[in-house]
Amino acid sequence: MMAAAATLLQAEAVTVKLGGASVVDDVSLSLRARELVALVGPNGAGKTTLMRALAQLLPSSGSIEINGRPLQSLRLRERARAIAYLPQGHVFHWPMPVAAVVALGRHPHADAFARTSPADRTAVRRALRATATEELAARRVTTLSGGERARVALARALATEAPILFADEPTASLDPRHQLLVMELLRRAARSGGAVLAILHDLTLAARFADRVMVMDGGRIVANGLPTDALNPAQLAKVFGVDAVSVDTGEGFVPIARRPL
Amino acid sequence: MAALVDGDGIPGIIVRDIRLPRTLLAGLIGATFGLTGAALQGLLRNPLAEPALFGAPQAAAACASLVIAFGLAGATSFAVPLAGIAGTLVAIGSLLAIAGRRASLTVTMLAGLALASFGGAAIALILNLAPNPHVALEIAFWLLGSLQDRSYDHLAIALPFMIGSWVMLGMTAGAFRALTLGEDAAASLGVNINRTRQAVVVGTAFGIGACVAIAGAISFVGLVAPHLVRRAVGSDPARGMLPAALTGAALVLAADIGVRLVPGPVEIKLGVVTAMIGVPFFLAMIFSERRLLEGNPAS
Repeated sequence: MMAAAATLLQAEAVTVKLGGASVVDDVSLSLRARELVALVGPNGAGKTTLMRALAQLLPSSGSIEINGRPLQSLRLRERARAIAYLPQGHVFHWPMPVAAVVALGRHPHADAFARTSPADRTAVRRALRATATEELAARRVTTLSGGERARVALARALATEAPILFADEPTASLDPRHQLLVMELLRRAARSGGAVLAILHDLTLAARFADRVMVMDGGRIVANGLPTDALNPAQLAKVFGVDAVSVDTGEGFVPIARRPL
Repeated sequence: MAALVDGDGIPGIIVRDIRLPRTLLAGLIGATFGLTGAALQGLLRNPLAEPALFGAPQAAAACASLVIAFGLAGATSFAVPLAGIAGTLVAIGSLLAIAGRRASLTVTMLAGLALASFGGAAIALILNLAPNPHVALEIAFWLLGSLQDRSYDHLAIALPFMIGSWVMLGMTAGAFRALTLGEDAAASLGVNINRTRQAVVVGTAFGIGACVAIAGAISFVGLVAPHLVRRAVGSDPARGMLPAALTGAALVLAADIGVRLVPGPVEIKLGVVTAMIGVPFFLAMIFSERRLLEGNPAS
């Protein structure tokens, strides 16, 4: 059903070497419009490195194209308008008000005098509403709980209104309800026309929300397809070293890891 | 006031040629310290950042006193601020190189401590090797920080470098706001991290190098000024820069007026006053923010 959607990002043979070793090894992938893609894999598989390379936050070889244009040829601000990146950890280093933090998402759209345009205000308001953080707008980010921080961090990334959103462990350290809220938000962001790539450790969330799952191991993509295919028990045994079963929830199959192998 | 505008004779000379350049220098130097402090705090995302904690003034003083001690140039030549700028560049550059991209609080502070100590040791070595005791005494007094007997010549030497510093630091202000999200997020928002770092390093070097070359070591203004305005600007690291500069100017002006008015056989040096007020303030700040600092070991 996604076949007709436009390809927003196309990466070919992306390789990242850190200290001589290939942390990301010859990875090719594409992201299409209206698609939520989960990137899963064991710790140290190279997921974050791949995501940072795709966002051009680290040097890599190979080619990355956005809407058919090489990423390297874009100016920093153009790239920033095309790809919004939500790093892991939801870190805020300074006690700024939530509204000001979310407004940072508009930085790539700012003119030389950093004036706020009506479009900026609308985008910030929309991001606050989508993440249910409106009532936090005047609070300082450093005083928020983990769940609130995660939503504010996501609001900041959404405010850019970039066609491509990268989210590195957006659900880490969140309680079940907030995990679901964040995943629903990411799915909505995809349905509104963008492409979302999310690194997830929770295979259940990946299976339930992602349109497509890419499994990464040892710097390579070892599986790429529908959640039920990519996350089948044999695959999980090989990549994660766990004995897993597929359980029918009534809303589809989700993998459950039962014990380490 | 009348003496300033059209006074002839002694009052006119005193106000125009002695008081006025001293006042202007105090304001400009204070503003530069306030601005560099705010910029370093923004770059390192750390409210305790201060040029003096990273050995910048010490390094500037070491290089400048080297030039003075060995008579390489007169005290009012461009060679002194240039030496100061070179020293600061080395100090802040090494700090950023050692502390690395993540700029963790602990590593930054340790590296800064080492660099400050090294700057101090270099000054001691120069005093040690000074060709005669008069030169050593001259350097020792100059190191205490003072604006006594500074003239328009000093102003003319320092001003171009200060203006360069303000321009470079002012241009980076927008990046500091994005940097509160961390370097990766800031870079993803289109901030050129390397250029921001370079601008802050070179801008700080120009400013601190010029200030120290003219007035000796004046510490803690760069730490205190941004902190005093932080609440008023809603903790926005970019919006705090101009108020921090103005507050720095007010602080150094007040301290300099203070040292002139306090009666006594010798004038207390400006740098001594700022340190005497600044250190207790610094300790109080650590005390009030220690929970925050302890709770954030990795960043």
